[in-house]
Amino acid sequence: MNTVPEDYIIEAQGLSKHFHGFAAVQDVNLKIRRHSIHALIGPNGAGKTTVFNLLTKFLQPTAGTIRFNGRDITNVKPAEIARQGLVRSFQISAVFPRMTVRENVRIALQRKLGTAYHFWKSVSTLSVLDDRVDELLDSVGLRSFADYSAAELPYGRKRVLELATTLALEPEMLLLDEPTSGLGHEDVDRVAALIRKVSANRTVLMVEHNLSVVSSLSDRITVLAAGRILAEGNYETVSRDPRVIEAYIGGTDDE
Amino acid sequence: MMELIGVPPALLMGQLLIGLINGSFYAMLSLGVAIIFGMLRIGNFVHGAQYMMGAFGAWYLVNLPDLFPSLGLPSLGYFWALILVPLAVGAIGALMEWIFIRRVYHLEHAYGLLLTVGLAMVIEGLFNVRYGAAGQQYGVPEFFKGGTNLGFMFLPYYRAWVIVVAIAVCFGTWFLIERTKLGAYLRAATENPDLVRAFGINVPRMLMLTYAFGVGLAGFAGVMAAPIYQVGPQMGQNIIIIIFAVVVIGGIGSIFGAIISGLMLGVIEGLTKVFWPEASSTVIFVIMAIVLVFRPAGLFGKETTAHAVTDLSSGRSGSFLENGRIWFFILAAIGVVLPFTVYPIFAMKILCLALFALAYNLVFGYVGLLAFGHAAFYGTSAYVTAHAAAVWGLPPELCLLLGVVAATAIGALFGALAIRRQGLYFAMITLALAQIVYFYVIQAPWTHGEDGIQNVPRGMLFGLIDLRNSMNMYFVTLVVFLAGFAFVYRIINSPFGQTLKSVRENEPRAISLGYSTNQFKLIAFTLSAMLSGVAGGVKAIVFQIASISDVFFMTSADALLMTLIGGVGTLLGPVVGAAIVVTLQNKLAYFGAWVVVMQGAIFVLCVLFLRKGVVGTLQEFLANREARKRVATEAPAKAETKVAQ
Repeated sequence: MNTVPEDYIIEAQGLSKHFHGFAAVQDVNLKIRRHSIHALIGPNGAGKTTVFNLLTKFLQPTAGTIRFNGRDITNVKPAEIARQGLVRSFQISAVFPRMTVRENVRIALQRKLGTAYHFWKSVSTLSVLDDRVDELLDSVGLRSFADYSAAELPYGRKRVLELATTLALEPEMLLLDEPTSGLGHEDVDRVAALIRKVSANRTVLMVEHNLSVVSSLSDRITVLAAGRILAEGNYETVSRDPRVIEAYIGGTDDE
Repeated sequence: MMELIGVPPALLMGQLLIGLINGSFYAMLSLGVAIIFGMLRIGNFVHGAQYMMGAFGAWYLVNLPDLFPSLGLPSLGYFWALILVPLAVGAIGALMEWIFIRRVYHLEHAYGLLLTVGLAMVIEGLFNVRYGAAGQQYGVPEFFKGGTNLGFMFLPYYRAWVIVVAIAVCFGTWFLIERTKLGAYLRAATENPDLVRAFGINVPRMLMLTYAFGVGLAGFAGVMAAPIYQVGPQMGQNIIIIIFAVVVIGGIGSIFGAIISGLMLGVIEGLTKVFWPEASSTVIFVIMAIVLVFRPAGLFGKETTAHAVTDLSSGRSGSFLENGRIWFFILAAIGVVLPFTVYPIFAMKILCLALFALAYNLVFGYVGLLAFGHAAFYGTSAYVTAHAAAVWGLPPELCLLLGVVAATAIGALFGALAIRRQGLYFAMITLALAQIVYFYVIQAPWTHGEDGIQNVPRGMLFGLIDLRNSMNMYFVTLVVFLAGFAFVYRIINSPFGQTLKSVRENEPRAISLGYSTNQFKLIAFTLSAMLSGVAGGVKAIVFQIASISDVFFMTSADALLMTLIGGVGTLLGPVVGAAIVVTLQNKLAYFGAWVVVMQGAIFVLCVLFLRKGVVGTLQEFLANREARKRVATEAPAKAETKVAQ
């Protein structure tokens, strides 16, 4: 057993999730090193998104424990997880479609202002956040779209907006669920560059199908298949693993 | 014979039997509702009316010679009815599905419920127009006359028959759906209609037949009920709310749960009649509340992980129709002129209901929760205010305060229970919880049952303003209304309102940003209950009465209707909707019993053709005109940006 203390931000032990007898995730042990980019890959139906939902408490595990920064978060509510600095994105772009781009980012910022429950105050009290919003929009290149409603943005920009909103929370750790899915080549590069940029001093765990993104970004890769961990390591190790190759070739052909 | 806990066994057994009979009907009806909900995602509120049609069908068949004397038809008895009526009611159901229901499958589930509420009002209203509220007699069929003495009690044959048949029908249906190929297709068709269509199965027809089958079950239950209960237009109205509670208790998508819960709850209700008669009409709703606390998914339901409210709002944040600062003054100006153009009492009715609808819209439009029990808050406040004024002789401002406090407290409690669930379940739960208040008001001594609290003194406001003067009363009402309007505007345009908006637009995302969304919903719900309380209390003072209709679910339906007509999630919609509905009710009052029919028809028409409401449609029109103008002037510029992307 390895006794050298490693700095893990997430430690999941024996994580399982059963849906009416179907084991979507089974006995998954996952450790994520602080300040690394860790990718979770695997064929369709491998349980990647389920793991995500378990880690962010959108699903309650059937068995197992999850520790975040050493604290047990197995029984913590999802909103509380986010407040502790573990923030996720969604497979389908998650913006607030009928709010403007500026309002989208502001929603994330206004929680820390402490007035989220203040129904008697004017919305104009939120204007103190405008500078920070503009700064964030600048950093992702969305400043010129600030007054568009989010629904009007092209898909790639929606994903960027989603990232900007997530970053507004200054999370310690980001969980990105297929950040480049559905994007064209240019947008993939833009989002990948953005992920690299924001990963400084942060930990990123991402589910990703695009293997070139995975290979260029991630420090470590975990391969899931049929709800279990198949292999783990860096891209070279994992991509040469015969079991992984079989899982991909013998699995679905949508890659 | 021995007495059990001070209760004679004959009484106990008798009530157990009645409980089992009622439970049989609950089981058959909730089975139909669960199937229609599970397969079609329609909260079939019209199920009670369809059950009623079944009972009337049996009655028609027996009275054929009297109904159509010229045709020389025979009188068809019970067994004929048992076969023919479910088929006929099922066929009517198929027709309803074809004309109405299938038009809302692709819409938010809330519309299915609203549509069927409208249909129920139309059908029950029509029967009411034709037959009046009084019931028709339908004798126990000759074959089942008499009974047998079991030693400890007398068991009428017919009742035994009902229980046996109900159980057989329920489990037969369960088997059909859960254990046969046909049922598998059906379940597959609701999970993934496109895939099933690819197998060459006619999905629309399948859904139609499913609806017809569920409705046929209601018709069957109606025939079974005819010899036991009075055959009357209202017989389905109360039972449908109980059925909804049973489905909630049984659990999501659980046909088995619906059957078992139906039978069980009937028995529990019967036992309650023995030990605590006053509580018997509310026990099912109380059990529902308890189940929600400990098992939110229901007794036999599966785990739910859905975090999603429905966004039905049609407001556009940029529109000048949403600018409360302008409209506050416009409404104030209209309000000042109004009592000189119409009767003040009529104007006050509009103001009270407009405030009520504004409050309701806060939950329905701005949180995205289909609440169906706001009568509880409106009515509670009306009763408390009226009691404080009439019995305690308190000044009006204090009476109103007490009323509002009561409504807020109940709102917080109901809200805490109901926000555990979303969508249709939220509607069913709020509806059922509101029934607790309704039955309490019917039974409590201080509310005076059917009479209500009458001759409520208006008194002197702050000891200064004599409210007996109708102009004084009017302007006080106007001020309260305007204050309420300003308050609602502030809520939706506050940091809290922004967060609420994000919850409505994408709840999982709001959670992932660290917002405990349920708390926001609960606060909004409580604020809405509070404002409903203001409306109800003022209404009690203005009209000097608190009556049973204030807590009846039709009042909740009114709030819904006003919001829907005006425009869900728009600032002015509730006000416009209240003006339209109150005016219509006044104009239609001449037609008596037809009012409900026409209101129901308006409901249906709104759901089918005017989902954005008057104000929402207007906003859309204005926005489109704006967009056309913009395109006309900016077309070249836009083409360039497209290329740049």
